[in-house]
Amino acid sequence: MPESKDLPTRWDLIVVGAGPAGLAAAIYAARARLRTLVLDESVPGGQVKTTHKVSNYPGFPEDVRGKDLAAAFALQAERFGATIRRAVEITEHDLAGPVKRLVLDEEETVEAPAVVVATGARPRELGVPGEPRFKGRGISTCATCDGAYFDGKAIHVIGGGNSAVEESLFLTQFARKVTIVSRYDQLKAEAAIVEEALHHPRIEVVWHAEPRAFTGEGTLQGVRLEDLRTGALSEHPTDGVFVFIGHHPRADLVKGLVPVDERGFVRTGEDMSTPVPGLYVAGDLRAKPFRQITTAVADGTIAALAAQRYVKGLERHAAQVMSPPGPGGAVAETAGSPA
Amino acid sequence: MSDHVKEITAADFDREVLAAGEPVALDFFSTECPPCEALAPKFEAVAEQFAGRVRFLKIFRQGNRELAQRLGVSGSPTVVFFDRAGQERGERLGGDEIKRTALKAQVEALLA
Repeated sequence: MPESKDLPTRWDLIVVGAGPAGLAAAIYAARARLRTLVLDESVPGGQVKTTHKVSNYPGFPEDVRGKDLAAAFALQAERFGATIRRAVEITEHDLAGPVKRLVLDEEETVEAPAVVVATGARPRELGVPGEPRFKGRGISTCATCDGAYFDGKAIHVIGGGNSAVEESLFLTQFARKVTIVSRYDQLKAEAAIVEEALHHPRIEVVWHAEPRAFTGEGTLQGVRLEDLRTGALSEHPTDGVFVFIGHHPRADLVKGLVPVDERGFVRTGEDMSTPVPGLYVAGDLRAKPFRQITTAVADGTIAALAAQRYVKGLERHAAQVMSPPGPGGAVAETAGSPA
Repeated sequence: MSDHVKEITAADFDREVLAAGEPVALDFFSTECPPCEALAPKFEAVAEQFAGRVRFLKIFRQGNRELAQRLGVSGSPTVVFFDRAGQERGERLGGDEIKRTALKAQVEALLA
């Protein structure tokens, strides 16, 4: 797609991360006529783009492919005038001051009075021997990317949450057998898909077990599982492993600027504000009990509305400073920085 | 769109990679693969930067499964690096997190 290399420097709002939270923020901000730039190190969609289907996003009576939903979010934001810069790397950043600056790919600088950081979370790794070695050589975190290569194969899925169970069902299209490895004695996903998985002829579950090592010559050939009740180790041959065990916050941009919880997720105000005026955090990066597309979209919406109020407040304030105070009226209003 | 990245097939591998006589970065990509789409513009940008010094190639993994398997590539995207002698060098890059700077660093190491 054509993408101009030269971006304007000044924006009203910069959104970092083009997942559901960031794109919802962009839709609202662009409709509010804020000059809005969205940055993403990948293509738009965040984790949704690699989710094979989404069944619980309101407005879609039939399942929608994650990829299509992601593309629709992006098109909608662009339709209202937001600029989305794809595959960009932020090589320098200063978000602490009144003007927030970001350097892109070591060559371009963009700035804005307000930034919404919606960088989300990255898949968590197991941290067991063999995992780094076999990543991309049999271990994957993207079923839509790699699933098709496992036709007729026997594979393992690690994890028992929504992603793990959804993607296991997807993988049964290709694999002869999908073995879900769950730490618990149940699957902690939505009841509807748990039932489907447990009755699926190609899905088996190993309960209360965790991987302890991945083994093989060159490519992945086996996974060593520990039975968490007995401590017994057992070797399981496998053609491939998909890992869906939750996420780590991607908080690099706001490190040291904002309070975080014990797992590193960012604590914000109810309006997505942080202690830094003009800096908002939305989506999976936030400390919150539930991480869904719908909750990300809600966060993004709120962040955009709060940022809009903040930016307009700054503009009014600047206008007052520039011109002598008029007679009465809206003179006393100050920049709407978060209280 | 790709001026600096050439697509090859398994049949070209020996000539284009092993006997290239210059360092090679080879990207195994797939369809239905957002991380592959995300890598493409970065790969292109770095290819442009190193034009004439390092050969940037891409190969469709689905269409060249045997070669991918022989090289132990089982994730998309995967970038494999080869030195002038056609020996694989450095760490393979893969997944959704391939940064332009990481790619550049690997390519620079091939020239060192």
